[in-house]
Amino acid sequence: MTTHRTIAFTLNGSPVTAHVGNHQNLVELLQGQGLFGARESCAQGLCGCCTVVVDGQAVSGCLTMATLVDGADVRTIEEPQDGEGGLDAVQQAFIETGAFQCGFCTPGFILMTRQLLDANPHPSDDEIRHYLAGNLCRCAAYPEIIKAVRLAAKKRKG
Amino acid sequence: MATTLGKNNSGASSFESVGRSIPRVEARAKVTGKAEYVHNLRLPGMLYGKVYRSTVAHARIKGVDVSAARMLPGVHAVYTAADIMKLVPDPHYGPAFHDQPVLAIDKVRHVGEPVALVLAADPHVAEAAVQMISADYEELPAVFDEIEAMTSKAVVHEVLKPAGTFPDLKHLKGKRDTNIALDFHLRRGDAQKAFAAADHVFEHTFRTQQVLHVPLEPFVTVADPTPNQLVIHTASQSPSFVRIEIARLLGWPENRVRVKVPYLGGGFGAKLYIKLEALVAIAALLAGRPVKISLTMEEQFYQITKHAATLRIKSGVSRDGKILARECEVWWNGGAYADIGPRVTQKSGFTAPGPYDIDHVSIDSYALYTNLPAAGALRGFGIPQLVWAYESHTDMIAKALNIDPLAIRRKNILREGRPQATGTLMRDAGIEQVLERLARRMQWEKAFDHEGSDNDKGTIRRGRGIAIGFKASISPTTSVAIVNVSADGSVMVNCSTVDMGQGSDTAMAQIVAEALGIPVEAVTLVHPDTDVTPYDMATLGSRSTYHMGHAAKLAAEDARDKLVALAQEVGLSAETTPIPDIFRKKYGMQAGNIVGVGSFIPPYTPPEPGTGQTPDATPFWMIGATGAEVEVDTETGEFKVTRLVNIVDVGRPVNPAIVETQISGATLMQLGFTLSERMEFDAGQVTNASLADYKIPGIRDVPAVMENEAVDMVQKSGPFGAKGVGESGTFGVSPAIASAIDDAVGVRLTSLPLTAEAVYRGLRANAGRPLED
Amino acid sequence: MNPFELAEPRTLKSAVKLLDAGDESVRVFGGCTALMLMMKTGVFQPTRLISLRGIESRYSKVTSAGDGSLRIGALTTLGALGRFTAVKKRAPVIVDTLRTLSNVRVRNVATLGGHLAHADPHMDLPPVLIALDAQVVTAATAGSRTLAVADLFTGYYETALARNELISEVVVPARAGRRAAYVKLTTRGADDWPTLGIAVSFVTDGKVLTDARFVVSAATEKPLRLASVEAVLNGATVDDALLARAGEAAAAEAELVGDARGSAAYKTELLRVHAGRALRKALAA
Repeated sequence: MTTHRTIAFTLNGSPVTAHVGNHQNLVELLQGQGLFGARESCAQGLCGCCTVVVDGQAVSGCLTMATLVDGADVRTIEEPQDGEGGLDAVQQAFIETGAFQCGFCTPGFILMTRQLLDANPHPSDDEIRHYLAGNLCRCAAYPEIIKAVRLAAKKRKG
Repeated sequence: MATTLGKNNSGASSFESVGRSIPRVEARAKVTGKAEYVHNLRLPGMLYGKVYRSTVAHARIKGVDVSAARMLPGVHAVYTAADIMKLVPDPHYGPAFHDQPVLAIDKVRHVGEPVALVLAADPHVAEAAVQMISADYEELPAVFDEIEAMTSKAVVHEVLKPAGTFPDLKHLKGKRDTNIALDFHLRRGDAQKAFAAADHVFEHTFRTQQVLHVPLEPFVTVADPTPNQLVIHTASQSPSFVRIEIARLLGWPENRVRVKVPYLGGGFGAKLYIKLEALVAIAALLAGRPVKISLTMEEQFYQITKHAATLRIKSGVSRDGKILARECEVWWNGGAYADIGPRVTQKSGFTAPGPYDIDHVSIDSYALYTNLPAAGALRGFGIPQLVWAYESHTDMIAKALNIDPLAIRRKNILREGRPQATGTLMRDAGIEQVLERLARRMQWEKAFDHEGSDNDKGTIRRGRGIAIGFKASISPTTSVAIVNVSADGSVMVNCSTVDMGQGSDTAMAQIVAEALGIPVEAVTLVHPDTDVTPYDMATLGSRSTYHMGHAAKLAAEDARDKLVALAQEVGLSAETTPIPDIFRKKYGMQAGNIVGVGSFIPPYTPPEPGTGQTPDATPFWMIGATGAEVEVDTETGEFKVTRLVNIVDVGRPVNPAIVETQISGATLMQLGFTLSERMEFDAGQVTNASLADYKIPGIRDVPAVMENEAVDMVQKSGPFGAKGVGESGTFGVSPAIASAIDDAVGVRLTSLPLTAEAVYRGLRANAGRPLED
Repeated sequence: MNPFELAEPRTLKSAVKLLDAGDESVRVFGGCTALMLMMKTGVFQPTRLISLRGIESRYSKVTSAGDGSLRIGALTTLGALGRFTAVKKRAPVIVDTLRTLSNVRVRNVATLGGHLAHADPHMDLPPVLIALDAQVVTAATAGSRTLAVADLFTGYYETALARNELISEVVVPARAGRRAAYVKLTTRGADDWPTLGIAVSFVTDGKVLTDARFVVSAATEKPLRLASVEAVLNGATVDDALLARAGEAAAAEAELVGDARGSAAYKTELLRVHAGRALRKALAA
């Protein structure tokens, strides 16, 4: 048993390996890969700025031990999308509705919105609010975010 | 793109670029996670700094033991004040007073004050080393309350040393043995005499709690000592001030310090003036390597906060509700370091009587030192605290005199052309327009149903309230901009305004495009970099659209004039020739630049000492009003805000969609300060220094109905009729909600935050059965 | 955080073996959310952690026995728990409780076993499971035992588990005609730790209540059943007067703790009013 190990995982579709300590978290691992879209902010899993999708499930990168993604499929906000200009419907909807100000929390909201719409393509406003309750936006672009989720749902359908 | 200079539009009433809701210029970078923040920056050889902080509120430092930390493998260096002073003999900084040491010297003045710094290549090692540091303190009596600080024998600073940096704070005096950093006084007419003659005199005291900004990107600074310059990459709202202050500390010329600021992950006034920069800069110079300090969320609670305040207001009123005289006393709890508190005390102090036309006014406003984390500017610069007090006071008077809240405001508001308490005449201040628009949207003059709709048990009561506030801009302040036209007709704007989410990059691009008559897509922004972007006072106080907007417009007009002259010189018409053709004719190829420069400082007359009178207190006024509807559970005091209507005067909006997000964002932030946010202390230690226990609004806290509107106004002195918008949405929120609660259940709260428990206790007190603990 | 070792056993049995009874710095984890928070703040500094993620997959599942009882593997994540059809059908109160329990990302990784073993009195499922008369099954080198969830909690962040004992399963017994509800009261915003939690369950034929369970949490050092409330309810017919008496009994019996979310006196008043409302919610369930 050691305190560090070499792990192999898929990052945004490409295989990578990394040498990490058990005491390092997923955000640190991604920074080492040159990805800064997942950001540690509250450090408690409450704000969602560090959202990463691991094996299809959203997690808080700040609470995820880096070593535990060994063998996993890891996807971040930097993953290129198929839509127009490399942006998916959710990203386009966030731009069109102006659903962010400083942008620090935006990757988390976008990844969570994708998860929401995958599970529930036509969420009600109440379902949107419950699903996004674990993401904080200090600029409080919440009214626009709700509009963005509704628009993204429509875009995905169309 | 082959753009042609458009016609000069500055005198027109409709525009091509200004007034359009285009998406933010950086939108794509932000939705792909690729927007640049200092947070992202890693430099070769960079060391991470972790801070050892004081655990006591007020004490003499007898010793700091860093020996074990220095021995820990992987630690590059551990510094205390003694190390700092080898490089900078007097390492004190601050915008108003040079009162804040880079690391504590001899004394600590609040829990969380930096005492020592560890540098290591691995941040986990630095963190572990911090755990090995210990300090020996001789504790001193501490003072935490702003009222006690007026007379306390516990003195936070033995000597006060004014900085003398800003022209509006030149009057600060050095003092000894007091906690009063600044006292501001205003006298107009004779309030005492008017009280004696008034039909009624009302006096109330209000409190606000200490809260903080909580940008989701916590403070972060990187300093890189290159051979010729010290380069500082920092999440700062004031790159120009950072350069001046670091150069002053080091005794260097300004051009040897380079400050670069990319996007900010939120600012709200937190990242103003100088915060981590001095410590990181000096540590990097001592270590000879790049150093980065990123605060944790917990550490943010000790960096900068918003003033708690006690506010006493006394009004003499005629029996029909005309306010004849008003006396305001405000005590601002500034914490251990003045930061910009003295300016809050003065600039906000002079609007303490509210947007009302009152002949006899007396204001005394005090900035106080205490042993709490320092307080500075936070979205509204003291105004939300004042509006909380004067609008609650207004409704308490209205209720006592049985006058409708709208009617008493209509009777007393400051109308266009009337003198404000400083004597400055109100110009382009839509107080009346904002109030009337709010009344219409609230349907105030229609009957209101106090019974809940979803009220089968009969325990819900509904209520509504309105409140209006105003704010002066900071003055006098300077902005300089450069507009650089390339030979292909594309344009770069060099300015030191920081886009922290408010959308200034987009607004400046729109203003410059408008002034040149070219498409906004042809304009890009050069981010603040003091080597290439000129001086700007700071991104604060909703000043950038007006001040930097003016400078950018002037720079664009200068570039336009030069381009027209160049076209003439080569025998072309600038109005019909594509810009690239003008350059090609002059230089024989795609070459050359046209550089326009604009500099702006609005007129200002400092207030007379003692009376606070001035004919020119501010270049423009910001107006904001909120209407609130609430539902209160009469059995438990639990309540919810069901509707917020926010009306502001922002002049002519440069980008209406971004303006709306500014209004609603400001409102929701203030909703947090009204309902849920409060720093809790135990002997100066913050006991809720995390987002688990300090509750900022989440998406489920947003009221079901939010309406935001900018009234149809033009700020004639503003660039294309625009003025600031960042703060106006905060003004009316707290008192409107408190009044709505009172309207619903007859409970008047005078302290923030407004809690269900406080409402419940009020209900019990009204019933003659106070809740006993 | 300082470096530490990580063990990833493949079986529950080997995980139990790895637990060193004497060493406080060795801990097991499932989702590692609560533990991670403690490590990040330095409250807990491990020398070795044992991941349970690789053990037999049956500990990550919910199975429903013929009698209608539920067996929930301790490694079932809270997110997965709410998606099992058997849980939706047999214990909808759990699904309802999960809706406001932490957030999606935490529910995606946090496990039921960890949720219980952490013994934070603000957790939402402990009072609900107590109201449902649930039991935990534990594993230790000495063997397995079963105890009521109500007996698992011995104090503030304290459980009856031995240092080398793990929760392996949670059993929710079947009960025909049972209705249950959980009320989570927050006073500082919609998403917060509860100021007060109230879980209730009872069996009813539509009129008379029997087998009532009434549990308070969050304002107590551990979730507590209130016997006096249950005595008021058992055998009684529901009307406004009964609900009011239940509230009075709850307020009289509970000794609540004040904190930044509310004074003890205020929380007691909340309990007095919301006791009846929780019972109404269960009746409507």
